[in-house]
Amino acid sequence: MWGRQTLLCATLVFAALVTQQSFLARLGIPGATPDLILVTVITLAFAYGPLAGAVVGFGAGMALDFAPSTAGPIGLAALIFMVMGFVSGAAIDPRDRNPPVLIGIIALNCGAFVIAFAAINSLLGDERVDWEQAPSLVLTATLYGALLALAVVPVVSILVGKITPEASP
Amino acid sequence: MFSRRTRFVLAALFVTSLTFVILDLRGGQGPFTSFRSAMSGAVGGGEQVGSAVFSPFVGVRDWWGSWGDQRERIAALTAENDSLRLLVERSAADRARSEQLDGLLRVSGVGRYEIVPAEVIAVGPAQEFAWTVTIDAGNADGIQRDMSVINGDGLVGRVQSVTRNTATVVLLVDASISVGARVAGSSEIGILSGTGRQDSLEFQMIDPGAGLEPGQALVTFGSKGGRPYSPGIPIGEVVSVAGTAGQLTRIATIRPFADVSTLNIVGIVIRPPRQDPRDSVLPDAPRTPTVPSIILPSATPLATASATPTPSPTPSAAVEPSGSPAPSQEVERAATPEPAPGGGT
Repeated sequence: MWGRQTLLCATLVFAALVTQQSFLARLGIPGATPDLILVTVITLAFAYGPLAGAVVGFGAGMALDFAPSTAGPIGLAALIFMVMGFVSGAAIDPRDRNPPVLIGIIALNCGAFVIAFAAINSLLGDERVDWEQAPSLVLTATLYGALLALAVVPVVSILVGKITPEASP
Repeated sequence: MFSRRTRFVLAALFVTSLTFVILDLRGGQGPFTSFRSAMSGAVGGGEQVGSAVFSPFVGVRDWWGSWGDQRERIAALTAENDSLRLLVERSAADRARSEQLDGLLRVSGVGRYEIVPAEVIAVGPAQEFAWTVTIDAGNADGIQRDMSVINGDGLVGRVQSVTRNTATVVLLVDASISVGARVAGSSEIGILSGTGRQDSLEFQMIDPGAGLEPGQALVTFGSKGGRPYSPGIPIGEVVSVAGTAGQLTRIATIRPFADVSTLNIVGIVIRPPRQDPRDSVLPDAPRTPTVPSIILPSATPLATASATPTPSPTPSAAVEPSGSPAPSQEVERAATPEPAPGGGT
């Protein structure tokens, strides 16, 4: 189980990373970039619980931090993703999965990530953080997160059910 | 609330990520430089593949955003393309016209003919066995019956009938035409007549005993007053001679210089030169450069020539239909604008 779970998570995170950076980011849609990685992380956290969510969030954040064309300090996205994966995994009881609630939590996480990243980054002294853009970024990130969740949650749930059937309740 | 293992893992991850952040913020050549470049290589490779896969879809947003624009642009570009293509085609036609005009200027300049240039606007049907064309200059431009029509190669025909703005030219190759011709380089004369075929004429010499060789050129002998044929216009060259010297009739086949099947720009000789140019107009004859005395009927030389209501020059008032003023005005005067009265003071 652990091997297949790890492989599935790594594959999904890597696919999400590539898709986000080379497709979603280049679409040039207004506002924030749709955060497919975070949506994937939270969805996996729903499926595998808080601990796995934290580990997957840490790994995905590290991959994002080390990937080319990311600006923040290494480890910051990993820290935020880890906390979000843990909290989201803990907030949902795996036996009581209500799709609107899941999508709402994912969307909230996407919006919160913008605030958290900007806050910590400016605390760390990055002068590029522009708080005037923050409201629109938070709004669009939340919206795009909800839209992505509509597609990602069913797909990931099916994959999780097929590949690691013992994880599903 | 959580198990000890969970708390331990969380704490470890937390400390690790914070360590990364702090180490990275120290700047310079951090401990992650090589690791980051390795990671960048791995992720970047995936991103390259992803970029290649996704590149057809990246433009989708632009496509949606500019859907209306695209159609306008396509329409505008199509229109521009059409007009440019028209321009290209017209420029080729214009170049051909200018070459023909150049030839006409050369002939008229060397022979000192005063000509009015005109463009062929219609060709008579070939199945009527008559070789006629219609040109866009009429008696408003000074054209009258029985004037010689030439182009840059030589004699084309003569004016058969004239309206106000057009004239009908019967071509040299028409079977009804006969021209007094002289063999270039000699004073032998004869009668040249059309055969109805566009590449051969018949030449019958007056003196059957005179010699005639293939390759010799013929020029017009000239009619009284230059009408219908001005003197010295190249006609064609001898292709073959039937019969030998001393026979009663000697008939030579002549190939005309002017290709009547591709006529476009012609010139109507409205006044022959004072002196017979003899053989000087022939292409290989030694020629003395002179100022061409071409008369432009209006500002634009060809197609609009007949549209301007210039006073018709009438060298002989009897031929002219009634209602045209300025009977004695020179042709050149008609072409040059009159100075405004009182403008000099």
